[in-house]
Amino acid sequence: MASLDPRIARAEPELWNLPQRPLQPLEHWQTYEVFVMRTRGTHAQHVGSLHAPDPEMAMILAKEQYARRSQCVALWVVPTDAILWTNPEDEDLFLPATDKSYREPQGYLHTRERIEQYRDRLKPIQS
Amino acid sequence: MYGTLTLRPEDIENWGKKVHEEDPEKLAEFEARIARGEKIEPHDWMPFEYRRQLIRLIEQHAHSEIIGALPEGTWITRAPNFRRKLALMAKVQDEVGHAQLLYSAAETLGKSREQMINDLLSGKSKYSNVFNYPAKTWADTAIIAWLVDAGAIINQTTNSRGSYGPYVRALERICWEESFHLKYGYDSVVYLATGTPKQRAMLQDALNRWWRPIMHFFGPPDTQSVHTETLLKWKIKLATNDEMRQQFLDMYVPKIWELGLTIPDPNLRKNPETGRWEYSDPNWDEFWRVINGDGPCNKERLAVRRFAEEKGRWVREALLSPTARYVTPLA
Amino acid sequence: MIEALETLVFSLADDELLIGHRHAEWIGLGPILEEDIAFASIAQDETGHAQAYYQLLTDLGLRTPDEYAFRREAQAFRSAHLVELPNFDYDYGLALMRHFLYDAAEQVRLEALRRSSYDPLAGLAERLAREEKYHWMHARAWIQRLGRSTEEAHLRLQSALDQLFPYAWMLFEEMPYEAEMVEAGWLPPSAELRERWLTLIAPILTDAQLTWHEPTPEHLLALQGARRGVRSPYFDALYAEMTEVSASDPDAEW
Repeated sequence: MASLDPRIARAEPELWNLPQRPLQPLEHWQTYEVFVMRTRGTHAQHVGSLHAPDPEMAMILAKEQYARRSQCVALWVVPTDAILWTNPEDEDLFLPATDKSYREPQGYLHTRERIEQYRDRLKPIQS
Repeated sequence: MYGTLTLRPEDIENWGKKVHEEDPEKLAEFEARIARGEKIEPHDWMPFEYRRQLIRLIEQHAHSEIIGALPEGTWITRAPNFRRKLALMAKVQDEVGHAQLLYSAAETLGKSREQMINDLLSGKSKYSNVFNYPAKTWADTAIIAWLVDAGAIINQTTNSRGSYGPYVRALERICWEESFHLKYGYDSVVYLATGTPKQRAMLQDALNRWWRPIMHFFGPPDTQSVHTETLLKWKIKLATNDEMRQQFLDMYVPKIWELGLTIPDPNLRKNPETGRWEYSDPNWDEFWRVINGDGPCNKERLAVRRFAEEKGRWVREALLSPTARYVTPLA
Repeated sequence: MIEALETLVFSLADDELLIGHRHAEWIGLGPILEEDIAFASIAQDETGHAQAYYQLLTDLGLRTPDEYAFRREAQAFRSAHLVELPNFDYDYGLALMRHFLYDAAEQVRLEALRRSSYDPLAGLAERLAREEKYHWMHARAWIQRLGRSTEEAHLRLQSALDQLFPYAWMLFEEMPYEAEMVEAGWLPPSAELRERWLTLIAPILTDAQLTWHEPTPEHLLALQGARRGVRSPYFDALYAEMTEVSASDPDAEW
């Protein structure tokens, strides 16, 4: 029975008679990671991955899959296997063990207090 | 520090591994993380059952998108004006795009895209049953774009609160694009509903034919569903089938009635006391029959996917590099 | 002069409309997801370009783009036969080669039209060139790669080129009223545009190890008349399909 879709009906009868072969490993190519810079002045941001045969094609295909609607001024692609990533077991590498407020602005909230204390010490002498 | 994550031999050996066989300490940490609302990322430790269920869920979703492109694709070449033609092209393009995003998300769990497509084509993996029905008229595309996409949005919005990072990120973008689909679908329906008598009749006929598949869309009733507890605990599933179905009816039945359309279920009503929608049993036997291969379009849908893959083989093979090696996508 | 303008607009718009339509036949059926998505964008672009070209006439108080696209007689069309050809056998090599030959012609046409003395056309050409830049990038990338890849890919591309080249040559068939158009400074003569097109595609085809030759006069004779209203044998079926819904209820709004 012919398909209701004329595009598919035109593919008949070959549609039903093609030899079947499962896809081989890597037949859909390697993956690339895609980064989009939305506006000038902002960081390029990771938005996902895609399959492509080489870097230039990755760029060409990424433009439509990742930037056809989104605002974009620049596009970067990187082969997935060029990226090093930290293991979850090493998530603790990013946690400090001791108080590191010495290198944060909030480590310096008591400076004003020091001035007040000094003034208080001076008062009895001056009176 | 650095490595690849493909399906390793131990992953396959452990495929049937039961949850109670997992390291109890790791499992407890994993479940606590999910309970805190934190996301699981691809390289985290996870129970094999979690990995297996997620692959199944995301893969099925991806297959649904690529197959879903076909009923609506039926009418692209016959769209009646520029605006509709362009919008339908863009919508079907989005479905293909969603399939790409979802296959990528599933790939992060270690199953290759080739393996997933092979499982679709062999009939091993399923896709949403609603796409096994034919789009007989232009009005069918309007009903699908409005009500089937509405169902998909409820599903996707619900799942976007899930636990798996890559899937959640894919769903966020998908939900954003789906909002255009819904607006386009509703706009198309409204033009038909407020148009000529012929258009109204075409629309009512389409709704009559699609109502049952739409009622089936969220899956069997909760009383018939199994394995829900663990899936809910692990935030793979975030609402039951009936909960989502109720949400759909609540949001869309009034809108359908507002257009003066009738829904082919005389028992459909909102119970004023319980606040729940009541409806005739939508014949779950038909659902099971169709999902197991005996629907009007099952054979054609898969034949078309096989056709596309086979016809495209020479193109893909032509650009295959001898130095290519498979690396699981990162996120 | 209005007939001359209509002829020019239709030659441009009808080409875009029909090639956009043919490209759209591939949506969901492409060789790999990523390329399916990219080609679907090209299909949308071309269709949108058609609408924009027709709008030039609408702006003069004539008919709407929908009316031009969906409600004209076959002989009122001025499309080249290249764009009417079906996607025979769903051969992606044919699709890519048509895309390459056509978008190369677009490069040349738009570059010339940007300097048109007819300002609305010049302004439009400038805007369309943005999207065409991508089309050309995409087409070149595929032809360059496939031509030098496998035996099968090369054979398919060569066969596609053999089949399509005469049709593509006729993209530059002289239009009725062309002398007036050239006189008015709307665009250069078609023959000159054809030369530029040949110069553009030659190195890329050579690099892809493909060969071609000027079509014989006999062959071209068979393809004559597109710009005068002679349609290819494939037009009627294409147009019947395209207008199936719109024609089913002519007074309806969709």
